[in-house]
Amino acid sequence: MMLRGQHPSHHAPGRLGRQLLHAGLVLFAFAQLFPLLWVFLYSIQKSGDLFGPELLKLPAEPQWGNYARAWTDGRILRYGWNSLIVVTASTVVSTALSFCMAYAIARMRWKLKSFALGAITLGMVIPIHTTLLPNFIWFGWFGLVDTRIGLVIPYVAFTLSFNTLIYLGPLQNLPPSLEEAALIDGVSWPRILWSVVLPLATPATVTVSVTTFLTNWNEFIMANTYLATEELRTLPFSIIRFQGQYSSDYAVQFACMVIVALPALVIYLWFSKRIMAGATAGAIKG
Amino acid sequence: MQSRRRGTRRPRARSPFENRGVIAALVLPGVAVLVFALVVPLGFSIYYSLTDWAGFGDYRRIGIANYREILFEDPVFWRSLWNVLLLMLVTIFIQNPLAFALAAVLSRISERLSRILRTVYFIPAVLSLVIVAKLWVDILNPNVGILNKLLIAVGLDAVAMSWLSDPRTALWAVIWIIVWQGFGWALLFYYAGLMTVPREIEEAARIDGATWLQTYTRVIIPYLAPVISGVIVIDVVSSMKQMELIYLSTAGGPGQLTQFIGVYLYQKAFVAGEYGYGNALSVLFVLVSVGLTLVVQRLLRALPEDAKGPEGTKGLEGPKEP
Repeated sequence: MMLRGQHPSHHAPGRLGRQLLHAGLVLFAFAQLFPLLWVFLYSIQKSGDLFGPELLKLPAEPQWGNYARAWTDGRILRYGWNSLIVVTASTVVSTALSFCMAYAIARMRWKLKSFALGAITLGMVIPIHTTLLPNFIWFGWFGLVDTRIGLVIPYVAFTLSFNTLIYLGPLQNLPPSLEEAALIDGVSWPRILWSVVLPLATPATVTVSVTTFLTNWNEFIMANTYLATEELRTLPFSIIRFQGQYSSDYAVQFACMVIVALPALVIYLWFSKRIMAGATAGAIKG
Repeated sequence: MQSRRRGTRRPRARSPFENRGVIAALVLPGVAVLVFALVVPLGFSIYYSLTDWAGFGDYRRIGIANYREILFEDPVFWRSLWNVLLLMLVTIFIQNPLAFALAAVLSRISERLSRILRTVYFIPAVLSLVIVAKLWVDILNPNVGILNKLLIAVGLDAVAMSWLSDPRTALWAVIWIIVWQGFGWALLFYYAGLMTVPREIEEAARIDGATWLQTYTRVIIPYLAPVISGVIVIDVVSSMKQMELIYLSTAGGPGQLTQFIGVYLYQKAFVAGEYGYGNALSVLFVLVSVGLTLVVQRLLRALPEDAKGPEGTKGLEGPKEP
């Protein structure tokens, strides 16, 4: 990132060209956001308004009641709470385990290291969907189907590979002298990892935990497959609920979509720099 | 003799970084989770793929009959693979160049505007797939959707149609949704790659009198070859993995036209009640995913490497599926 910074391009187009370019870019951004804007606009109108011929319609009087109905009928609180528990647990466990694995690969010396790294990268290729069928039987043996733990385990497993690779680069770049000094002072390994290494890897920890949180927050197919109990279902079900129940009540459905999208959007905007850095590391670093 | 043997047994002074107990404590919990949630299920899949189990009741072991049926008598399987391939080609040859071009533009405008735009362009990638699917199902809806209203408004009534259920458009509509959702990732990867291009090599190209187009085709793109390869491998993996967006928009219809393998195995097992058959599809799914990824990596690595890019991408390190 340091290499380029903002330098005026040597092929800088003229002022007019530049303005056109900016206009085009902003227009594209608008096009990208338009579907979301459309959903929001109609979420505060009467459902019938969507059936009118006009392309877009500004609400005459905003129907905020749609949100109240989406909130109660979509069971946002119940499902949101369930999501929060499952996602927080899987994020904490996945972050901790990937930190440990990455540290062992980055710093420790052992024979199976390169094999382990290969297996981890391979783990990223395997689609989550291939485990949907067998897990019914296998997790069933332990009574894990239709439980929160039964979701947390695959959520951890399917984020572990990526997270380990994210941690790997930053941990490899830390000088080992700090740990060596601590070891000579007789500090125990858990303490070294917790109070020496982990604080130095904070940016990676933020990236790992935020991306894991978002991924699992948005996860649908596993939750859909394993959770039969109404009281355990996670947030994406709020939207699914409306499809049967109020299939023509678009305004409430749209309100529900806005409510469900909002937390992820806020987290994304808050941490966008770290999320992008993480994705970047995934693409460029080894 | 005695003492010498003891001597060889005495542990030599080990570095603390070779402490086996510590290594095991660090690695085993993660490995245990991977084995429990990934490896063992795969074993179960292989076992049940050799049966005719319906998901309940008794079953017989029928050898490789499921595989034989899939490979030789199941046009839907081949259809679903073909759709995956088509999606791959679209992402690699249409989405990627567009994302690269946009990333190149973003790398040349003021950092402030660039950051705002990047943040906006990436938004679809962080939305839940349930929301993305529902969003586009509504936009493409023949009655309430804005696409048809737009077409009618500009006098193209004849083109207005039921995009996701019309056999002529369904597949392209689904591919569009997937590409819309994934565009931000491609853009982000290329932007990050472009940021690693040292200014000097561009300067040198300019001094040699290269036009901006030549600078890109002869200098920057070759320099970024490893990044481009990495993104292509990611495209291959993520095209294979598409499931939710299809499941929630067309569910493979109309008439299996938009079937993708992830959706197909799910429906076979849970809707059609052919659990054994679904598991055989699952096993093939893993084999094709891993095989194709390795082949594409091998192919890309075999390309002439006339440029010394940034740290070579090993390719597999893709994004987490959003």
